[in-house]
Amino acid sequence: MNYDRPYRGGGGRRRYRDRVTEDYDTHDRRREYESPEQILKNSIIKLGEVDPIQEVPRLAKQLQEDATSMLPAISEGIRIAVTEQPYKIPYYAALLRLLHGPSSLGTDTSAGQPSAPLGKLVLEDFWKGFQGYLDKLSWRDVRLCIHFFAHLTVAQVISTESMAALLQSFAAVLDEFGVSYGRGKHAALCAAEGLMIAGAVIQKSLSSNTAEIIAAIHGFNESMASSKNLVQPLTSLASGSATVDYADELLDSVIAVLKALEASEFADPPASFPQPYLEYDDLDPVASPPFELPSILVPPEVIELDGLPSDGGEDAQVKRDEWPEYWFRLFDNSVTPDPNTISGFLIRSNFRDMIDIFEVNRKECARLLLEYPKWCVPGTFKPRAGGPLIEDDPSANNWQLESVVIEASLGFLFLLPEPGQKPVYFIALITELCKLSPSTVGPAVGKSIRKLYSCLADGLDVEVARRFVEWFSVHMSNFGFQWVWKEWIPDLVLPENHPKRTFVRRAVESEMRLSYHERILKALPEAMQDDPNVISSQQPGPDPEYEEPLHPYHEAYQSILSLLRGRSRADEVIAQVDTLKTTLDTSHTDMHIDSIIRSLAIQSLLSIGSRSFSHFLNAIERYLPLLRGLATPTDFEAKRDILAATAAFWKRNKHMIGIVFDKLMQYQIVDPTDIVAWIFNMVSGDGITGPVYVQAFEWELLKGALDKANGRVTIARKKVLALRKEQDDSIARAKASGGADVGNMEVDGEVKPLKQDESATENPQLTTALKAFTSLTREQRSVLAKTLEGFVSCLSPVPGDAYQNMHSKTVIDEHSWERRASWTNDEWMTWETWGWYRHFCRLYSPYLRNYSTTLSTVAFAKIEGFTTPTAQSIKKTWDIATGQEA
Amino acid sequence: MAHVVQPLDQPSNYKDSQTKLDRKRQYDFLSKSSTLYIGNLSFYTTEEQIYELFSKCTSPEDGGGIKRIIMGLDRNTRTPCGFCFVEYYTHAEALACMKYISGTKLDERIIRCDLDLGYAEGRQFGRGKSGGQVRDEHRTDYDPGRGGWGAQAQLERRREFEERYADAQEGPGAVATGGGEWKATEVPSTTLKRARSPDDDDDSSR
Repeated sequence: MNYDRPYRGGGGRRRYRDRVTEDYDTHDRRREYESPEQILKNSIIKLGEVDPIQEVPRLAKQLQEDATSMLPAISEGIRIAVTEQPYKIPYYAALLRLLHGPSSLGTDTSAGQPSAPLGKLVLEDFWKGFQGYLDKLSWRDVRLCIHFFAHLTVAQVISTESMAALLQSFAAVLDEFGVSYGRGKHAALCAAEGLMIAGAVIQKSLSSNTAEIIAAIHGFNESMASSKNLVQPLTSLASGSATVDYADELLDSVIAVLKALEASEFADPPASFPQPYLEYDDLDPVASPPFELPSILVPPEVIELDGLPSDGGEDAQVKRDEWPEYWFRLFDNSVTPDPNTISGFLIRSNFRDMIDIFEVNRKECARLLLEYPKWCVPGTFKPRAGGPLIEDDPSANNWQLESVVIEASLGFLFLLPEPGQKPVYFIALITELCKLSPSTVGPAVGKSIRKLYSCLADGLDVEVARRFVEWFSVHMSNFGFQWVWKEWIPDLVLPENHPKRTFVRRAVESEMRLSYHERILKALPEAMQDDPNVISSQQPGPDPEYEEPLHPYHEAYQSILSLLRGRSRADEVIAQVDTLKTTLDTSHTDMHIDSIIRSLAIQSLLSIGSRSFSHFLNAIERYLPLLRGLATPTDFEAKRDILAATAAFWKRNKHMIGIVFDKLMQYQIVDPTDIVAWIFNMVSGDGITGPVYVQAFEWELLKGALDKANGRVTIARKKVLALRKEQDDSIARAKASGGADVGNMEVDGEVKPLKQDESATENPQLTTALKAFTSLTREQRSVLAKTLEGFVSCLSPVPGDAYQNMHSKTVIDEHSWERRASWTNDEWMTWETWGWYRHFCRLYSPYLRNYSTTLSTVAFAKIEGFTTPTAQSIKKTWDIATGQEA
Repeated sequence: MAHVVQPLDQPSNYKDSQTKLDRKRQYDFLSKSSTLYIGNLSFYTTEEQIYELFSKCTSPEDGGGIKRIIMGLDRNTRTPCGFCFVEYYTHAEALACMKYISGTKLDERIIRCDLDLGYAEGRQFGRGKSGGQVRDEHRTDYDPGRGGWGAQAQLERRREFEERYADAQEGPGAVATGGGEWKATEVPSTTLKRARSPDDDDDSSR
């Protein structure tokens, strides 16, 4: 590793100072003591920094010289190189090919008998590493090793028959009974990518099984068709169609590529991949017989055995990665390669892997992504401006590197139900790409934003739209908030809840959260500055309704507030609140006195806490007894009042509503269920007059509550498991010592026969932890049930319900969707509510599955037997998400 | 995992120069830390702006979240002096910030995140002779975001900031904890005393 490279930013002086002191010493020493093995591994990993074609033979020679003593270092170096640098795999295959042939050093020196070729020894050792990845089901590593093996098969180093058998083993996974989608998908990719690289050779061999493998993948993909509708980036509520514009499903692409290869009898080589090993002379199969890959069995998934019994459901580990993957397309096939072609598929596979592997260092990741073309056949990407011109080659694809990179990064960001990494990673990665090459990456980013914006009118999924807002605002925050807003001015005529206008409003709001009102206001064109549905004319702030001197409760409010400002003790404030309860004049309102008192107390607490997040924390922490007195755990009315008072106080700064709700849950003033109940009872602000809509703001509050409940279960589970393990260990120790030292341990004097189920009752800590776990899973189930019920009642009201949303059934009708240009706000808000219901089902599907029977019995009781389109649509979505409809 | 590139979530050269822990112990603490030191903030950046950016690294579904934010203040003037601590509930969230937020902009300044040993009383104040951060005493460049003379444009904003922390306290309990782990609540009707759990002890020592 090169320690000279300054990986971290920061002031030059700082680094200088540190280097001259202690850190300089440690660096220097480490370099001095870098072992010969380490040096060798590094030279393998760094292969090709200047010119891979020339470096491969040189490295091969060096390895042959070092072979005898450092075989493990060589194979480990290659293993690291292959699994962490997928773009260099063809060159490592070339390296192995040279090592597999006769040694260039001259074989008949001192040793009497000719030894096996170094390539064979390396592969034998490499295989152990591969087996290790397989045992852990470390899918990406497994798949990249298969790339390597596939290239080696083409290079005649690995026997075609054994390669075919290896791929077959992965295809066999697809026929397993009850194979999970995630497992099937990964196995299918292993087999498919192997075929894409080595299919031509396998096809020609006697043991060709390409048709069989393709059929297995095809069958698996077909069986998963219905779940696709729920994770498409463009929502189609009306039709159940699985084809969608602007996106390609991963396994659909796999099938398209493989079918095309099959039809052409694997005539098309992967045009963008270099195959440097083909330049070498043929191997003598007698002197260097091809390596036979041992046969394998893909190990089954580990079943968690430590599941805890919970109230009414299985405590299965939360399994994600169980959905088809739709990759968003932003550009034409002439700009970025079609994923349904072999080159397009493999290039995208490389990009996906690189973005995944280099997640630990987004800056290096950006650099490596922009250097990618150097590992491809010339003409794959359009040469950079000022670079050497390549003569007009009709076969050159000339794709635009930056567009491909941005499309891949955004593709990750927009994966549904959620990307494999935090969204902010992809956002930060794009920022780095822009910093590295602003003039080439910038335009690709701009085009992507415009494309996504135009998709908003065509049903861009609500969650994708939410992430789009997030990306847009964080990106702009890193680049001076410079966006050409004026091109969207014509859209200001749309109803304000049209997705395009919602986007603009939310993007501006998010930018303001990261910056401040005046800054963002000034960055907008005049037409937008004056539109309260784009940005409010006032900066966001608290709205203390009792501060108005003419308010009838102004004095009561002031009496509490002055105590709080003077940092009076909690009991003094409680006394004052109790006094108010008996003295306050309530003649002019029909609000209950308790509700008024709660509102006064909460608003005055929020008022002293309104200066900053810390002020707010200090306020609630100091007056916890007051808060607990206002709402006992079972007083749902009281808790709703607290939430309502908060929402009223911060109605001009919705960011704060989320922050306050989170801490109210954290301090256990309210429970997640209370928040869900509050949202579905009165989302629309003042009173329960209209239908309930769930928009991004309500969704974020809902998600906050659901995640809190789920997170608590996660913590409680960990605690129980840790305590159990501790107990098991101490029992094991007691056993090991034959019971002789039991007196020293925290066990009763005599040695009891040990039974698993009894042991739990012996440890009071464990008992407490188990109790906590039980009540938290109960709360979890209740939050999920309440949310489901809420969605059912606002999307499929039954006759007699207080609020009837007539649009609920129209917006899921195909003809109505075609006429969406004339939709009003109510229709768009209902459409968005549908979108969040779908997202709720797919995002929380691992949890919902655990309780699917109980939840659906309760929540669907009202619409049981209904055949209305809304009831059917609700149940269909539910069935797909909970795996009841394959 | 990373042999080809250097991970960004490793502890850097940053350290609390006044800690009494030896290097080994410091390293052990950092490898579990859920607190970050954030540097190079504008004096005018608010806790809510910080909350917004840093909430993008939270993992609430794993029991995480932002526990608290402690704004660094000038010892004498009680105004923000360009640093803060962000404390999460989990270590993984702090690492995520090192990877995805450190080196990006907040309030149009490139901020720096470092794993921190954890907030201790008194650390919310600047350690420079003037009351602010030491680095601002040696700074020779012009920096409007950090009290440079060009801050006229933000006069309104500035006044707000100057008053905000005027009530900042010192000493034990001056800084809120942000809320601890979930605990079973007492059911008022029963006479059973609340069982003490180890967490209760933790709280009293904070």
